[in-house]
Amino acid sequence: MRRLRASILILPSAALIFLFIVLPYVNVLVMSFRAPADGQPYGEGFSLQGYVQFFSESYYALSLPQSLLLGALTTALCLILAYPVALHIATASKRWRGILYGIVLSPLLVGIVVRSYGWTILLGNSGVINSTLREMGLITRPLPLMYNNFGVVLALAHVFLPFMVLPLLSSLQAMDPAVQQAARSLGAGRLTIFRRITLPISMPGIQSGCILVFVLAISSYVTPALVGGMRVKTTTLLVVDALIDQFQWPFGSAMALTLAVSAGIVVLVFARLTRIKWS
Amino acid sequence: MRIATPLLTLFRVLVYGFLLAPIVIVVLASLNAGNFLTFPPQGLSLRWFWTFLQNDVFINAIVYSAVLATAATSVSLVLGTMAALYFVRHAGREAEAVRIGILLPLILPEILTAIALLFFFYEIGIGTSYKIALFTGHVLMTLPFVFLNVTTALQGRDDSIELAARTLGASRYTAFRRITLPLISPGLATGGVFAFIISFDTFGISFILKGTGSAPLPIQLYDYLRFNFTPEAAAVSTVSILLTLLLVTAADLLFGRD
Repeated sequence: MRRLRASILILPSAALIFLFIVLPYVNVLVMSFRAPADGQPYGEGFSLQGYVQFFSESYYALSLPQSLLLGALTTALCLILAYPVALHIATASKRWRGILYGIVLSPLLVGIVVRSYGWTILLGNSGVINSTLREMGLITRPLPLMYNNFGVVLALAHVFLPFMVLPLLSSLQAMDPAVQQAARSLGAGRLTIFRRITLPISMPGIQSGCILVFVLAISSYVTPALVGGMRVKTTTLLVVDALIDQFQWPFGSAMALTLAVSAGIVVLVFARLTRIKWS
Repeated sequence: MRIATPLLTLFRVLVYGFLLAPIVIVVLASLNAGNFLTFPPQGLSLRWFWTFLQNDVFINAIVYSAVLATAATSVSLVLGTMAALYFVRHAGREAEAVRIGILLPLILPEILTAIALLFFFYEIGIGTSYKIALFTGHVLMTLPFVFLNVTTALQGRDDSIELAARTLGASRYTAFRRITLPLISPGLATGGVFAFIISFDTFGISFILKGTGSAPLPIQLYDYLRFNFTPEAAAVSTVSILLTLLLVTAADLLFGRD
């Protein structure tokens, strides 16, 4: 009876998730195998045509490696940028920790559209960086900072950096400073301490941070759209185009699912590789 | 090793600068007196804020986003708190499944969730009309943030106080309202502020499910940015940043730090 009454607490949320997450996702899976039709979102019966179209036309097929490349580069850049910062915050004094934490979280408080827009002001052909360099006489033609992988990766890394710092931070904070002191008193150099103690301890944080950033990056829409100016064709951009502008639901669903499955494989391979190497 | 330390410090300062740069630049750009986003700015002025204030499209979008965020946050606060109470106090073996289930909207790619919802609402014959799909999407996106914050608040509390109130004759409801609720109010406040900001800023869900007619601020801003390059967008963005800061500061002053 007590448990029955308690279950009323979870019922609304469970119903919400089941109705509006589980069922719709199953529906997308089914949709990807439906037959296409002219003039309406999908036709009668089932077919593999959505998948065939995606892999047979290079315009669409090439977006997949492009998406995965963007995701991998963004993840790598985030890790390189986030690690020293997380280490710094984990060992900072209490007062500084609050301030630095605030700086790391600040991008989350500003909308993703505004942040991507900020990057277009910085990286544009007549943007802050190019104008400044031209004023200084260092360049005559603007550097191609935007509308390419470079700009998109930079902006994506900024957008998702907090999602790398936070998991790293929580794994690093579990570190006992005494272990490092013990290693040092036993004659270990700083590099050895980092390689043998800090890095293995932070491995779970590296793993979850990388997976999170990778998945977020390959499925992001606004940043590649604004900073890439539709010239960096990711699968996510093409999915939205197929669904919203062309009204091809089976094709769009097939693309979205192919991207999701590819991302899943990359994540599994990554998890396997990091486990074998470190523990 | 001696050389490495200053280099590492410089690297860290650069990363902190990298984090703040686009936000600072947007605010600076909004003060540009010129007609385009040029650097260095052609003098300082508040004229773009004035232009923005007279632009019904953006004002309506801000109001629309605020109303939507308030409604979604209210529902999420109730559902999320109930779920958190269940998770912390009553869940047995299914606890992990409950946690993952409620965090699903956060874990799954937002744009894919939006598309899935769009299909689903079309299949059941509602489509994007009456803003039901949009509202549902916003509740889904904000629910995990309330759940996470209230769960943390509940886990840090002592159950025995509510138990004592119950032994002294308080009803289950009174004990919850007079004891538990005040104790977890900082968690509720943080969760609510987070939920509001997420709803106010979220793009994918709003972009796919907005339907016809008025649209939330991020969508209106995105549409504007695709064809316009005036500093007005920067002024709108700055106002949106200021609103967020105001909200966070107010919540911090009212409920203090945890």
